Amino acid sequence: MAAVVVLAIVGLLPLCLMVGSSLWVDGSLSSRNYVEVLGNARTWILFRNSLVLATLTTAVAGLAGVSLGILVARTDLPFSSSIAVVFSLPLLFPPYILAVGWFEILGRGGILARWIPIGETTSRWLFGLPGAVLVLGSAFLPIVLLLTITYLRGMNPSLEQAARLSAGWPAVLRRITIPLITPGILLSLVLVFLLSMGEFGAPAFLRIDVFPVASFTQSSAFYNFGAATAAAMPLIAVVLAGLLMIQRILHGRAYSFRWGGQSTLERIPLGRKKPIVLLAVVVLAAILVGVPLAGVLWRGSSVAALSDALQRAGESAIRSFVYAGLSATFLSVLGFFVAYLVYRRSVAGWWSVDALALFLFTLPGTVLGIGLIALWNHPSTNWIYATPAMLMIGFVAQYAALSSRIVLAGFSQMSPSLEEAAEVAGAGWFRRVFGILTPLVRPALLASWAVTFVFCLRDVALPLLLASPGRDTLTARTMTLMANGSSELIAALCLLAVLLALLPLGAIGIAWRLWRTPA
Amino acid sequence: MGQEGSQQLAAGFPVARRTVNRSCWIVLSLAALVGCGTGRPNAVTVYVSEDQIFSESILKDFKRETGIKVNAVFDTEEAKSTGVMNRLLAEKNNPQADVYWANEPVRADVLRQQGISTPYKPVSAAEIPDRFKDQQGYWTGFSARARLLVVNKAASIKPASALAYVDPKTKGKGVIANPLFGTTTAQMAALFTLWGDEKGKQFLAGLKNNKVKLSTSNGESADFVASGEFEFALVDSDDAVDRVRHGKPLEIVYPDQGEGEVGVLILPNAVALIRGGPNAENGKKLIEYLVSKETERKLAFADCAQIPLHPGVATPKEIKPIEQTKTMNVNYADLGAKLQAIQPILKEWVGY
Repeated sequence: MAAVVVLAIVGLLPLCLMVGSSLWVDGSLSSRNYVEVLGNARTWILFRNSLVLATLTTAVAGLAGVSLGILVARTDLPFSSSIAVVFSLPLLFPPYILAVGWFEILGRGGILARWIPIGETTSRWLFGLPGAVLVLGSAFLPIVLLLTITYLRGMNPSLEQAARLSAGWPAVLRRITIPLITPGILLSLVLVFLLSMGEFGAPAFLRIDVFPVASFTQSSAFYNFGAATAAAMPLIAVVLAGLLMIQRILHGRAYSFRWGGQSTLERIPLGRKKPIVLLAVVVLAAILVGVPLAGVLWRGSSVAALSDALQRAGESAIRSFVYAGLSATFLSVLGFFVAYLVYRRSVAGWWSVDALALFLFTLPGTVLGIGLIALWNHPSTNWIYATPAMLMIGFVAQYAALSSRIVLAGFSQMSPSLEEAAEVAGAGWFRRVFGILTPLVRPALLASWAVTFVFCLRDVALPLLLASPGRDTLTARTMTLMANGSSELIAALCLLAVLLALLPLGAIGIAWRLWRTPA
Repeated sequence: MGQEGSQQLAAGFPVARRTVNRSCWIVLSLAALVGCGTGRPNAVTVYVSEDQIFSESILKDFKRETGIKVNAVFDTEEAKSTGVMNRLLAEKNNPQADVYWANEPVRADVLRQQGISTPYKPVSAAEIPDRFKDQQGYWTGFSARARLLVVNKAASIKPASALAYVDPKTKGKGVIANPLFGTTTAQMAALFTLWGDEKGKQFLAGLKNNKVKLSTSNGESADFVASGEFEFALVDSDDAVDRVRHGKPLEIVYPDQGEGEVGVLILPNAVALIRGGPNAENGKKLIEYLVSKETERKLAFADCAQIPLHPGVATPKEIKPIEQTKTMNVNYADLGAKLQAIQPILKEWVGY
């Protein structure tokens, strides 16, 4: 129950307060904020922009992610694990880093413009819808890719094996494999759509007028919480619709997939097309991941730029690391109990806890941040508001769904009889949870920690709104230094963010391998 | 099974104990983290609208010279000069800041009107002309920027006035930063003050009719002009000087310098002490430091090339000393009031 209370306090309460205070104008109940904002044509233009951007991003990420997922998980494509890792790299850092990378390539003074005089055209293309779709598409492609791989590996192989007796691979893929993983694909597409709708950093860098930027401006430039809340309502409606869709998609089969089951699945032979397919995948990886990262590396890897970045943002980088680490630890603990609650279905309305976590995950950070400020910005709660705890509360609210879902996947691979047997043997709840369940779901807890750590590390909107004075994060500092900061410095800061995510995850990966290797 | 199960549970119990120990450490770490945010006596909190890239080094120098830790909040490009000021407004009943370093005095005066700042007359600013200071001491100006025209060297026209924006001959050739943000808001407030509301509205309508492009910032305006995409723009002197120093094909024009013309709008940085801030004494020390001749010298020869307001402080070669410039005769307090009055007009004009 404590987990439910925590989630309600950090997530639900600020949203309720936000909606309540937006309806309270000049000491009386009023719909003025809503009439002004929702009656403004610009609101709907921005909403349309966001819808178009999210739809195109979902289409690009979906098409590429599903195709790559099938290639990686089900065919005999060489280096498939490495390919999956390379395409997943953008998930480790904020999307605006890809935007900065592309800016170094396609901007007016970019690398391409040095060779071919088309800087004006490419810059206009980048600072527009096509550029935003490219950046967000490659940033969110890993979500589709990883969920496709996960669902493919969790399939029951006997269905395919039976179908193979009478049909070739193309027909089996079309009629058996893809329909079986359709819930996973749809789930990933809905997630990408919602995350694209709520993305702030990359559209802000690319000067795209979208809803989250407008919501941030309403709160940050006008500091009109009521108007900002009203401006967020269409987004909240979209999130709720997406959430309902996810619940329908996942109904009854949400947690049936398992990890690491690929050994029993037959690989589809690519035959003579293998080199061509490999080449195409490598080229795609180079375009979507290699080129923007090379742009950042090219501009920001000089000793002077890196030294400047470290000097200006070294402390922010350490803070990012600490905040993300502490938040991930707390999230893993919270995720464990939320997952346990959902797994055991021991409390009436367990599904609403899961739904709330997912709702908060898909809610734009700007909206959540505004709600948290409205709740905590009072003298009586200054001991929270004026400290980094405020930011960590935001992280916990935003990413509880990630940790709970990952731990839940761990629970789903475990037989409930273990806990039941312990209960019959007289073990108390405390013993069962910490002595039996925790060690059994340790891999899931570790995965939960790593994933939430990365998401907290890469977050932009929450640190911009919630970081206390003098305690900003690397992402927030990069955004504020963009005002008249040199492109070398910005690229070096982005490089620092990439390293900050890669180094600990690399260490975890190595530790994991060593731990799994038999003595 | 029962005995075996009990043994397993007994073996598992140390795990539970370790987990509890770890949880204690986490809770203690969080408590330490929460605790580190409050009760810091030798610190000062400053909200800064001046670009971080320029202001941060000054704040670091202050820390080095005084030993007082500076906790700063900076604005993003998008919300430039409005984000932190509005955060101050929101925190009126729960102030977190001691000092507000504004990049122009208009919004600093809004804080006075809203009862968020408190008077303090720094001794170091005694030689700064009175017109750049609030008479009651609610804010003090230092290190100014001028609102200048940048014109592409290959431009077909050579504008010499802000009115060039509404000249039919320049249709589609001018670019200006979004007037809802930053110093362009102050420019609009100044023009509305000098011309009156009717002429101000006509000017805004003229901008639309003349297809003036709206950019996100003065820096972007200067870049548009440097790249030849547009021929001229009204920008801050630091944006202009920065591009010229980087060899961009730009000319700097001091607008409206002729007889009977309104002159150049000068926008000093402004610093204000926040009422009820947690470390007011340190706030006063920071204010004394910011308005000193030494800080003005540093800001003049930094990349922002700001204009010193103290007499006798040298200026870089790209900018004219304040004494040699015809400046707009405006009262910044009036601009503050005007800014608030015209905000609905500007919002409607931009389409917010």
